[in-house]
Amino acid sequence: MTTESKPVIEVTDLVKKLGSRTILDGINFTVNRGDTLIIMGCSGCGKSTLLRHLIGALQPTSGSVKVFGEDISRMSERELTHLRKRFGMLFQSGALLQSLTVGENVALPILEHSRVDPAIAELEIKMKLELVGLTGFEDLKPAEISGGMKKRVGLARALALDPELLFSDEPTSGLDPVMTAVVDQLTKDLTRKMGMTAVVVTHDMTSAFRIGTRMIMLGSGKYQGKIIAEGTPQQIRANPDPMLQQFINGLADGPIPLRLSKDDYIQRLLGIPSRMEQK
Amino acid sequence: MKKYLTLNGQILYWLLVGPARGQPFKFFQVIRQMMRIGAKALPMAALTSFSIGLTLAMQGAHELRRMGAEMYVADLVSVSLLRELGPLLIAVIVIGRSGSAVTAELGTMKVSEEIEALQVMAINPIRFLVVPRFLAMVIMLPVLTVFGNYVGMLGGWTICHYALEMNTATYVMRSVEAARLGDLYTGLLKSLVFGWLVITIACHAGLEVEGGAEGVGTATTASVVYSILAVLVANAILTSLFFFT
Repeated sequence: MTTESKPVIEVTDLVKKLGSRTILDGINFTVNRGDTLIIMGCSGCGKSTLLRHLIGALQPTSGSVKVFGEDISRMSERELTHLRKRFGMLFQSGALLQSLTVGENVALPILEHSRVDPAIAELEIKMKLELVGLTGFEDLKPAEISGGMKKRVGLARALALDPELLFSDEPTSGLDPVMTAVVDQLTKDLTRKMGMTAVVVTHDMTSAFRIGTRMIMLGSGKYQGKIIAEGTPQQIRANPDPMLQQFINGLADGPIPLRLSKDDYIQRLLGIPSRMEQK
Repeated sequence: MKKYLTLNGQILYWLLVGPARGQPFKFFQVIRQMMRIGAKALPMAALTSFSIGLTLAMQGAHELRRMGAEMYVADLVSVSLLRELGPLLIAVIVIGRSGSAVTAELGTMKVSEEIEALQVMAINPIRFLVVPRFLAMVIMLPVLTVFGNYVGMLGGWTICHYALEMNTATYVMRSVEAARLGDLYTGLLKSLVFGWLVITIACHAGLEVEGGAEGVGTATTASVVYSILAVLVANAILTSLFFFT
């Protein structure tokens, strides 16, 4: 099914419209095996929507998303289930099942999808929790641990079946700097040494440049839903695009339309459509 | 409506076909849900049934006394409980207590991305979450109804024994003679249908929640209202089928 040369993810002309709003507008990119793709962009620019298309949770308005060489939007429920066993996903909030303990959450994919002996499953759970520095928390409920810990449990759960492909939605938000470095190192080890492919949505630029091998930036405002920059971390750093530079350096002033000019401000207050919206 | 029917189909698929294809639901989850939906509703079911049995007997005695037919209080209590009030009352109790809880629980799971997480882990939420609750409900509602019928008759007996000075043996005899076995079966069949309606409506409302805590609240209200309506309408239809044709 998959060969080494074929890209793991191939997105072609992806367009997503919700009502009259265009969320994604002609997205094209590929991710090769062993790559770590970073998706950057301002809040609300469609990063999560893009991620949802990659896992087959949303259907594109037009265009195609191929994962492991197969068009994910044309798959039956059955094929999708089969495919999803090969990837792991870390949700922004962790999305742990509140009714289960930390250990049971990590055990869930293992017990559901592989016929292993419970004793071996238990060992695997311990190993995965050890990876994210949470040994000894097996018996706590998600409500009893902090947000950063939930996220790490989410990561342990995403890695439970040793996926070929890992999706992470803001893996390091809410983590302290040391834990961020640990999680980054873990992603790096898994991709560089084990050949796992990762797609990471993040705002954390330090972490992005630490783990990324390829980066794309989604635009906002009049570039809503388009890729405005793409390349290796070196290329991104060297890219002179002012919007990109403002974003990766975290500056308040720049072309990203947050601060309005005096005219725009008055127009918006009075309810007159601004120049940008008229366009 | 279409989604509701699809849900019914999916439940049947994962209940009957899924296990045969090597994707069984979790049996211990069924037991756990039976505890939550059924066993823990016992005290409430008992209290309601007892007071209704008591009330029926008092009203009956009041009216029947004028015709000197107090003997028939036992008949009245047992027949109306078995045929109508037992299944209906217990269903209403279970809607308020367990149906709403199921909607709120699934709805919260939906808004906190837990359902989506299950799907991404290739775990079908219908198989994992809905089927155990469905089974628990369609088993436990009839069980609770039988239990409620007993307790209700106990309530009737309390009035007959202490206020009308009927002796226990007569009460039991009359109750058993008045009600046919068919009354018990139709009552149980009713509660099976009610259980099906309640749990499918509750799960459907929960899985379709949109928009945070407020959405969960709205869905829970809708679940309770529609369940009660559906049960009342189904009751009218079933009664006309069993006793009026």
